[in-house]
Amino acid sequence: MSENVLRSDAYAAASQVDTKPQAIEPFDKEWGVGLSGNTPEPSPFPRINRILSVTQKTTNGFVSPERAELVTQAYLEHPEEPQIIKCAFGIKNVLENSPLYVYDDELIVGGLGCDKKGAPVHPEFGLNWVVDEMRDGLMDYSEKRTHDYFSYTKDTQDRLEALRDFWNGNTVEDLTNVLVTEEELKGSHAGKGVFFADAYIFCGAGHLGLDYDRLMKLGFGGIRKEIEEKMAALDLTDPKNLEKRTFYRAALLANEGSINHCKRYAALLEEKAAATADPVRAGELKKMAGNCAWIAENPPRTFWEAIQLVHLANCMILIECNGHSISYGRFDQYMYPFYQNDIKNGISTREQMQELIENFFLKIWDLNKLRSHILIKTFGNGGIGGPALTVGGILPNGQDGTNDLTFMVLDAHAHVRVPNPWLAVRLHASTPWELKVKVANCIRLGAGEPKIFNDDVTIPSMLSSGIDLMEARDYQVVGCVEPDVSGKTYGWHDCGHMNMAKVLELAINDGRCFNCGDSCPRWEVCGKQGKRLGLQTGSLADMTSFEQVKEAYDKQMKYWCDRMVTLLNAVDMAHQALRPLPFLSTVMDGCVEKGLDVTMGGTKYNFTGPQGIGIGTVGDGLSTIKQLVFDEKKITGRELLDAVEANWVGYEPLYALVNSDYVHHYGNDDDYADELTKFGMDTYCKHIEHRPNAHGGFFQPGCYSVTVNVAHGLNQWASVDGRVAFEPLSDCMGPVHTYYGSHDIKGPLAICKSVTKLDHARATNGTLLNWKFTPSAVAGETGRDNFIALMDEYIQRKGMHSQFSVVSQETLIAAQKEPDKYRDLLVRVAGYSAYFVELNKALQDDIIGRTSLSFD
Amino acid sequence: MLYSSSGEPQGLIFNIQEYTIHDGPGIRTELFFKGCPLRCIWCSNPEGIVATAQLGVYPDKCLSLEKCGFCLKGCPLQGASPIKHDQNGVLAAVNMVQACKDCLKCADLCPSKAINLWGKRYTVPELMKIILNYRNFYLKSGGGVTLSGGEVMLQWEFASLLLKECQKNSIHTCVESALHCPTEHMEVVYENTDLVITDIKHMDSVKHKQLTGVGNELILKNIRRTVELNKPLVIRTPVVADYNNDEENIRAIGAFLRDELGGRILQYQLLPYRKLGTEKYKTLAVPYPMGDYLPPERPVWEANIRDLVDILRTEFGLPAVAGANHKLPNTK
Repeated sequence: MSENVLRSDAYAAASQVDTKPQAIEPFDKEWGVGLSGNTPEPSPFPRINRILSVTQKTTNGFVSPERAELVTQAYLEHPEEPQIIKCAFGIKNVLENSPLYVYDDELIVGGLGCDKKGAPVHPEFGLNWVVDEMRDGLMDYSEKRTHDYFSYTKDTQDRLEALRDFWNGNTVEDLTNVLVTEEELKGSHAGKGVFFADAYIFCGAGHLGLDYDRLMKLGFGGIRKEIEEKMAALDLTDPKNLEKRTFYRAALLANEGSINHCKRYAALLEEKAAATADPVRAGELKKMAGNCAWIAENPPRTFWEAIQLVHLANCMILIECNGHSISYGRFDQYMYPFYQNDIKNGISTREQMQELIENFFLKIWDLNKLRSHILIKTFGNGGIGGPALTVGGILPNGQDGTNDLTFMVLDAHAHVRVPNPWLAVRLHASTPWELKVKVANCIRLGAGEPKIFNDDVTIPSMLSSGIDLMEARDYQVVGCVEPDVSGKTYGWHDCGHMNMAKVLELAINDGRCFNCGDSCPRWEVCGKQGKRLGLQTGSLADMTSFEQVKEAYDKQMKYWCDRMVTLLNAVDMAHQALRPLPFLSTVMDGCVEKGLDVTMGGTKYNFTGPQGIGIGTVGDGLSTIKQLVFDEKKITGRELLDAVEANWVGYEPLYALVNSDYVHHYGNDDDYADELTKFGMDTYCKHIEHRPNAHGGFFQPGCYSVTVNVAHGLNQWASVDGRVAFEPLSDCMGPVHTYYGSHDIKGPLAICKSVTKLDHARATNGTLLNWKFTPSAVAGETGRDNFIALMDEYIQRKGMHSQFSVVSQETLIAAQKEPDKYRDLLVRVAGYSAYFVELNKALQDDIIGRTSLSFD
Repeated sequence: MLYSSSGEPQGLIFNIQEYTIHDGPGIRTELFFKGCPLRCIWCSNPEGIVATAQLGVYPDKCLSLEKCGFCLKGCPLQGASPIKHDQNGVLAAVNMVQACKDCLKCADLCPSKAINLWGKRYTVPELMKIILNYRNFYLKSGGGVTLSGGEVMLQWEFASLLLKECQKNSIHTCVESALHCPTEHMEVVYENTDLVITDIKHMDSVKHKQLTGVGNELILKNIRRTVELNKPLVIRTPVVADYNNDEENIRAIGAFLRDELGGRILQYQLLPYRKLGTEKYKTLAVPYPMGDYLPPERPVWEANIRDLVDILRTEFGLPAVAGANHKLPNTK
């Protein structure tokens, strides 16, 4: 903690040097409203525009087999070693032998051991699906896979096929299946999909940021020294220390791999420099070689060295484990000392550093990840997914930490307009006006970045999870939504997704699905035998008071949370047994200190964060039942069940009524519906929070869907809130919009009030509200200032997190019709931005359908 | 003035927008008062013209007699019902003029809002409850309440009661009116008004009458009076190509603002015509007065308006702007 104090004091003192932010753009620079990426040459730097001109605006890519082969080779060469040592040899072999690339114009090197847009294969989590999809034509472009598709050569397919036998029975998927029973699986992804808990069966957990202070202070050489010292000091008569020694051996192997990886780049760059005729470019390449040679073992000295190290270290984490949402921490804070030093000593200019940041953003966008044809339905157009980068917010000492880099990072997004990194800006009551203007102008541009996090609710929320005050103040945003102490948290964020609306269905239908019948794949083992999927909690037809409905929902929720928790813990245990992460452990805080791998609880904070999905759908469903069945007795419970079972066919007047403003609906600042929505969400939180997890911490509930609301909806029959079968559930914390119409009709102020009646701080794994404005609603000076006022009020009301879309409905519809004209149309999906024309149709429709807040 | 059965004053309002940003500074709640003495040919709120409650008919939303039929079942006139359906059982019209008892039950019973009620009566406390919901947003953004229409001055007594209550609660008040009203009514309303927004649609009274159904003498008189009273004032012209966008007209307005008002206005906004509200005309079975009229292509049109703004700024020294999203000078 004392170190934190020192660091924050240094920053606070530093921030007083420049009281007004200085960046290469004025703080109130405007880039237009709703233009998104549709501007040629957006950067003031010709180099960046040149790189942009060859940058592929797609998440489609190709499969690269080298990583899988190198890892397999390492395992084969060390059959006798403990699992963690095999893993260490695996990462070391990849770092030391995978192909490296250097591209024209670029100032930073680093990739995933393959060419741009290539995706390495991680057989440790399961290789069968990869080779099966290749065999079945489900990986490359086809009618069955129209986005996020990956090409591959016959050679690649053969080489991966050759590895299949080795991995059969030895993957995280295989072990997980042994650890659980039908009871946990029946409601999961492998059953009826009441909840999804498979995200980390097929890939790493990711969702973390490394300890940037540690990396900048020690460098890889300092880390090696620390490991060696800890290992030398072990009393080996203590059997526990024998285990630690194994961990340290693994850590040293991985660390050696990381050092050699940097040195390989240095050598390659020297080679390129020697072969380059243009003296300016040769000079750049030489300088880059020097950067890599230095940071191989030493702490960085300059901004350029530091940003190179940040990129390489994160690439190595991704090479080790393809976890989603490897995040870049508080970039404007840990980079600031280098920035200041460079300016003060004339090492580099502000313009040079701006250019480096823009190049860095494009490097992140070039990385890619392979997902199954099933996973891309729930998570479309993600690339590596989740590379969040946080700026702004208060410092550990409680003062505002805005500095020049905060502005430069936002300018960089406006200059490159690619979806990576996922920018997060932390705001709070004392955020400077200039930063709010910068944020507003970026958002109004319409490419969907940045998202806004609210310190004033996030920090108290983190305190409630037992996080130290100073560390909570130093949080970064991970991936789509999750607050996290970078380098100190293994949070398993976003590991599961509970369909709360399905829970309500089972609660009021005595544990049965509305569409129970022989079309269900589980019919033979379930319905046909007189069984039911869920707990018998009674039927709405027999319930005599609304209290009974709430009670049934509560019991049903506990039943499904129990099962999801068990399954998630089984996956967690499989990771620990088969997929320790020795390289990551060297760059996290605490693992070397404790001699314990990060997957086993080596770092300070250990959480498991599954989300509740369909908050609005549940709220409006409960509201419909309470008002129409119990308060007004307009219909009976039986009639409502019949209508939903019939998918509303033959019940058109009721369908229209339920979707009209006659019924109290969430999102209209109407306490009747808002309180029931809060009850729906709190019930989920209650059954998740503080349950112990398998890596030494506990569960944290989150309340956001990202895009899983579409996938859960596709799995579910009609629901009482006026949804027809297979329609998406409500999005994140937002109100319901059904095919019939939007349930919120009063505009953004009412949404703001309704949403903040929910308890955001209780959702310690994060919340999200997606706002969508038409360009005219935020255009002009008044549009900007009113937008800022609206955000200020959302922050004061303790809303945690907002993301924004500023594109007109007409543009989106036009882009659906003529995708080729709109290749650069970047839109906010949820948690991240993506190229609209690359999203699947269901998700495109979901985005178009979100209530547009227009007041022309 | 209208009164409730318990004797409380009521206003007839046809729309409440709980977030507007283009009619007055900051974030505002805007109330649209029903009834208007003008008949502007480009009117985008035709449901606000008649001073009594009306039914709008949306055949597209009708579920059909076969599936629903609640409207007829609830109609007290039964056999002689003014609610008409076509041969497919889809709602075609509600003929309020003939036979209808104006009970409005059908609108109440229609589950799909195929029959929509335009115009609802509210008391001051009922409106204040809605307005006060969003007070924090007004304070943060420098916003408040805007009374618009239709024509708010037709309900001047009720409006002034409401404005008084707003000011008592420290809420900034704005009135958007055509000012075609008795000056004394206007002055009563002004007692509790912080900002006035009004239009000059044409300087030539004959043309004004062609475009709006009334001459502009009373309006110009009231504008002069507004300035005499030192009321913060925003003037607008809804600019419609081929109707009032000629330089002669714009110069005449410029001259009036400069010479007769001494330029004592906060802002002069030129608002481009937008073809809005045509759907609502259909629901009222009223033809759109401008028929198939379309404004010129957007770039041409925008350039034209920018040119007019330039004339007003350079030749007349007026604070002219295009559109309604430019900051107003602080009025408090």
